[in-house]
Amino acid sequence: MYDRVENQTMLQDSAATAPPAPSPSASQPLFVPRKNLWQRFWSRSNERIGYLFILPSLVHIIAFLFIPLVFSFFLSFRDWTRPSFQDAPYIGLGNYEFLMGDNRFWQAISNSIYYTVLAVPMGMAFSLVIALVMNQKLKGVNLFRTLFFMPVVSSWVAVSIIWLTLLDPNVGIVNYVLGLFGISGPNWLGDPRSAMPSIALIAIWKGAGFNMVIWLAGLQSIPQELYEAAAIDGANRWQSFWRITLPLLAPTTFFLAVTGIIGSLQVFTPVYVLTRGGPLDSTNTAVFHIYRRAFQEFDFGYASAQSWVLFAIIFAVTVIQVGLRRRREEIQY
Amino acid sequence: MSLKQKGACLYNLLGFRAFKLDLSCRKERVKMLRRSALLVLLLVLFTALLSTAVVAQDGEITLNVIGFVVPLEEQGTPLDQAYQQFIADFEAAHPGVKINALQTPPEFDTQLLVDLAAGTAPDVWSQDASSLARLIDSGYVLDMNECLALVPELDLERFFPSVLAIHQREEGGPIYGVPNDFTPMVIYYSTKALERAGVEPPQAGWTWDEFVEYAKLVTLDANGNNAASPDFDPNNVVQWGFRVRKWTFEWIYRLWQNGGDVIAPDGSTASGYLDSPESIEAITWLRDLVTVHKVAPPPDTLSQMLQQLGFLDRFLLGDFAMFDRGHWELVGLRANQNYEPGAFGVVGQPQNVARATVLYESSFVIRADIPEEKKLAACQFVAAATDRGYQDTKVLTGIAISGNRAAAEAAIEQSFDPVLEQAFFDEVEFGRPPYGSIYANWPTIEELLDSMMERILAGGDVEAEVATAVREINRELSRR
Repeated sequence: MYDRVENQTMLQDSAATAPPAPSPSASQPLFVPRKNLWQRFWSRSNERIGYLFILPSLVHIIAFLFIPLVFSFFLSFRDWTRPSFQDAPYIGLGNYEFLMGDNRFWQAISNSIYYTVLAVPMGMAFSLVIALVMNQKLKGVNLFRTLFFMPVVSSWVAVSIIWLTLLDPNVGIVNYVLGLFGISGPNWLGDPRSAMPSIALIAIWKGAGFNMVIWLAGLQSIPQELYEAAAIDGANRWQSFWRITLPLLAPTTFFLAVTGIIGSLQVFTPVYVLTRGGPLDSTNTAVFHIYRRAFQEFDFGYASAQSWVLFAIIFAVTVIQVGLRRRREEIQY
Repeated sequence: MSLKQKGACLYNLLGFRAFKLDLSCRKERVKMLRRSALLVLLLVLFTALLSTAVVAQDGEITLNVIGFVVPLEEQGTPLDQAYQQFIADFEAAHPGVKINALQTPPEFDTQLLVDLAAGTAPDVWSQDASSLARLIDSGYVLDMNECLALVPELDLERFFPSVLAIHQREEGGPIYGVPNDFTPMVIYYSTKALERAGVEPPQAGWTWDEFVEYAKLVTLDANGNNAASPDFDPNNVVQWGFRVRKWTFEWIYRLWQNGGDVIAPDGSTASGYLDSPESIEAITWLRDLVTVHKVAPPPDTLSQMLQQLGFLDRFLLGDFAMFDRGHWELVGLRANQNYEPGAFGVVGQPQNVARATVLYESSFVIRADIPEEKKLAACQFVAAATDRGYQDTKVLTGIAISGNRAAAEAAIEQSFDPVLEQAFFDEVEFGRPPYGSIYANWPTIEELLDSMMERILAGGDVEAEVATAVREINRELSRR
């Protein structure tokens, strides 16, 4: 029945839009049997148009994301250090076995985790504070929103070079301002203890605008009646924030935490421009380490294995986060 | 199948009508797909054939070469003119051979690997010796003995033996490329710093102990006391005697000077080499320049100093008395705003057990799979590029010493400072090949050595850090 109605509708639609087609021969039944996926796909004209629209992006994703991804996976089982892929012998799990004892790689993972612990919570908190302020009906608030968002659209390379000057221990403005308060500023990027926090600081500054926009969307979805009801019940601003705002921002918090952690574990550009992994490998993050292994040491097979291990770590962290979130929701409901 | 039915099939194939495809229409679709695929394949093959045409229809051979084009901002300079003149002269002398000089791409080492894999590499290029081993091991570089057979005028006697040795792993064996230009690592000294310290320039053939004493004499604090003086204040140094950095290319020869080494000649292990008493003694000696004798700034102090003012500026102003470098530094020094004639000099490396330095070199190589029709032309080109005419132009930039011995000797008198040039020349016989020309995995090993030295200069225990490095290097070596 469904197929008959569906086909009749499609036939009517087709008849309205397409030139007349040859009439079916006497041997072909009017009501065709249930169609397979391919036939159903081509019979829906509105979906076809949609797929055609996304086709260029799909081709781009397949060519520049999916195919390299699959190639990288197969490469991770080969020892590819010579130009020609034909000279890359299959070594099975050899790269992964070697990776297990590679202290430098695990140190790089540890550095990435350290960076994430610094950058994500502080970044979220800082941007939430900005969003709370920007959520007010103040004069010029749109201008400030734009100003806060400007670092987001700036190039990481340009931002890094500017911060290199700002953080200069002798002539940088940061240490100059600290000096006005009698504080002797450190060698921000030259001291192993302060190099990673410095990069995290730059990342927090740069990403605050984007997080602010996401927070704003979350804040503006909270019904005002809740605040009014709380005010009537005598709640102060802090109580309103703690009891109403923060809980209702949970989905936004979750989103920012997941995306923040995924992005932070893959930090590369500021490390490449500012510190090149130093001093004393204190800022040697996972992706920078993989880059060095691949493009400076020409060990592409092993670097591919390292990237897949990094992917597995990020995936595991994300699954844990999603699992915790689901559990929390189950407890609540 | 009638034409009308074929049309209906095509219509259906394009998805305008959702008719069920009967068997004959399905077959027609498969046929059409096969024909389209065949057509695309033929087009691709045809294009590929066109692009791989070696010899043009008129018999002209085109050689693609890299290393004979200046950057855009240097067009019109004497070097640019020298390149163009050389190419024009070669084409005039070899009718039927056209030189297609290509710009050196950025990240050339990486790009070259991609081109070699894709089969689009140039026919002849200028190759850095520090990354030559990988190409040799992969079989991508032609054995120049084939050129010697084709082009008798390509005479190996024209090259420095120690420089040619970079390309020859065994006596009488294959020769992978021929020298273009090179430099030994020497010690530069600032005449301003020496005058301030009241000492004469150092002389070649000096020892490690003499070097340390000398460095102490030229390291001064704010009160004018040198590091040999009991009143010397190491926390208030205004003139440093030397510069020590973590980079392996600046200190590996120290190990050789003391009879040590990094890894075994066959590249199988670092045990017994990097952790040998001689190597540890050499590394300790280097570290002591920073931590004990206080003649070289610690890494963080050096980093802060260089953020205020560039190193060459500081050197010419006398803030640093000496540092290790190659011939290429002459270009930056002479272009510096603080330069004046006689502002600096050069002396050979000090010795302890042996006199040794490293030779960093650029060579001409031909790709191994060059078509036979092009091989003669490529060999002739390399022969011409390593001969007097072109090699005499090296003195124009002064960035390196000519690989042609006669041209290098002639350049001594033509250079801006013949005494300085002679000092480089005298050091050549003590030069050894860079390990990047011998071990394909040297970039990985070098990375580990850089990290090891960085930790040592920051105060790490020498033996412990060397032991860690040996373990990591052996682990890397065991993969191959």
